[in-house]
Amino acid sequence: MSKVLMKGNEAIAEAAIRAGCLNYFAYPITPQSEVAEYLSWRMSEVDGVFLQGESEVAVGYMIFGAAGAGVRVFTTSSSPGISLMSEAISYLCGAQLPAVFVNIMRGGPGLGGILPSQADYFQATKGIGHGDCRLLVMAPASVQEVVEMVMTAFPLAEKYRNPVMILGDGLIGQMMEPVEFPDHLKSEPTNKDAWASNGIDFRKGSKRNLVRSLFLDPEKLNDNNLELRAKYERMKREEVRFEAYNTQGEYSVLIVSYGTMSRVCKTAIETLKAEGIEVGLIRPQTLFPYPEIAVREAARKSSCRAVLCIEMSMGQMVEDVERCVQGARPVQWYGKCGGDVPTPEEIIDLVKRTLSPM
Amino acid sequence: MAAALHLNGILIIVGNYGSGKTEVAVNLAVDQQAKGRQVRLADLDLVNLYFRTREARHALSALGIEVILPPEGWLQADLPILVPQVAGLIRRPGELAILDVGGDGVGARVLAALGEAFQNAPETAQVFQVVNPFRPNTDTVARCLAMRAVIESASRLKVTGWVGNAHLMDETTADHIRQGHDLMLALADASGLPLACMAVADGLMHTPVVDTMACPVLTIRRQMVPPWRRPVVLSGEDTILQ
Repeated sequence: MSKVLMKGNEAIAEAAIRAGCLNYFAYPITPQSEVAEYLSWRMSEVDGVFLQGESEVAVGYMIFGAAGAGVRVFTTSSSPGISLMSEAISYLCGAQLPAVFVNIMRGGPGLGGILPSQADYFQATKGIGHGDCRLLVMAPASVQEVVEMVMTAFPLAEKYRNPVMILGDGLIGQMMEPVEFPDHLKSEPTNKDAWASNGIDFRKGSKRNLVRSLFLDPEKLNDNNLELRAKYERMKREEVRFEAYNTQGEYSVLIVSYGTMSRVCKTAIETLKAEGIEVGLIRPQTLFPYPEIAVREAARKSSCRAVLCIEMSMGQMVEDVERCVQGARPVQWYGKCGGDVPTPEEIIDLVKRTLSPM
Repeated sequence: MAAALHLNGILIIVGNYGSGKTEVAVNLAVDQQAKGRQVRLADLDLVNLYFRTREARHALSALGIEVILPPEGWLQADLPILVPQVAGLIRRPGELAILDVGGDGVGARVLAALGEAFQNAPETAQVFQVVNPFRPNTDTVARCLAMRAVIESASRLKVTGWVGNAHLMDETTADHIRQGHDLMLALADASGLPLACMAVADGLMHTPVVDTMACPVLTIRRQMVPPWRRPVVLSGEDTILQ
């Protein structure tokens, strides 16, 4: 297929179909409603199912039901909507069911605003729901990358029998870029016999799948949590993804930034390069698991004097950056979270101020 | 087919989501202003939230183009706001009033609400439908005509001309423009409506394919850019070739 010009939200919708996901339940919220709008007509073309739930709480459990039946299923929402789904996400983790959630973040807390934000980092990576649950979280920086991530998300969710989240800011949903789609994948999870509770056929066999997250026996609950923990540790070994930009040579400052914010940083890095100031960038593509080693090693490069974490929040990912740098270099946060995105000029100024007193 | 573009009174810019209506409206306004006409531009996009005419309001005001918008405090409101000045603009459009409308039928529906103002307008509005053949819903003549029917039904107005806006952002090549031009000629033929102009990014204006076009060509100086890009400086130079 040749390239087309698509809005991020439209591309997310089309990518899910091409990933073989024919079940979509959602409730509209700005700035991701175009996903539902697109799928409201597109799903019927591919004999798929689109149902608008009566709320995000309902949608969360529609996802639970479909995942439990062994079909590919996904939803999209924005910050407040994801909060409403968080109970169901915890249940999905507990019952070890695969599903894909897309959060096109808007400003918060509360109703916040409708412009881009990255303020759901903590929620996605550390506090998505009650109990010891984690999501595999991917953060796209372009429309093409969100397509690739959505298509990767389904097999990954099935590999780990765990929900996967695509965490994009409002710009990822709203901006338009040229995009091309890879081929269709299979439409059914290949390993679904391990969990799917899909009807009477299983009564004939010896094995019966039971979808549950309730374990009243303390040993069994502990066992389930150990199983989950082992999966999260495996994600840390096998699924870390990041982009290193301008880190081959020497640089005096390292920026850590993700999503569209990192593209503003790249513009600043190119401008600074022309002025003779070298700045490296690590862009995490997975936020959980976090590229710990990459950030640590990049920060410890002998030429690097300081680390800047730039994000559209009041300082969330910076805690992971500090954890990785382990005090080897000063770590500073810079960000905004009202909808205005920090500009290349602000970042250039920040880098120069960071270097000047030293 | 029109060899030159004659714009008077009310010009309404419609099209599907992401066809480039706002870039066309803004750059047309600048072109016409530079030709010595008094131009006013109304942002009627009530359905989209990002990348609207309002983002170019300061650059347009600096050129003396009046932009009609909701009050500053409500520019980012997540609800449709139609200011009463728009009806006044339609009744008294002056030399040229350009209305930049939201996408698809949903975005064009606001025009039906202004039906009474249109009935009392001094002259019939020109309605241009912008088409980018590299958008998923308008890649064939049939789909463009279907989109026209949806927009006409929702707006209760008739499309009077086409604007071809064939591009893939930074990845646009002369070949894309040629393909787009061919589709627009076929669309003009099938619909019996003129191809009012082709829109071409400033960086591609000097590619040979532009000289072969049988219609006026509007230079697009891109304004709706993500935060890591700067908008191109607006100017009325070298825009509509006649």
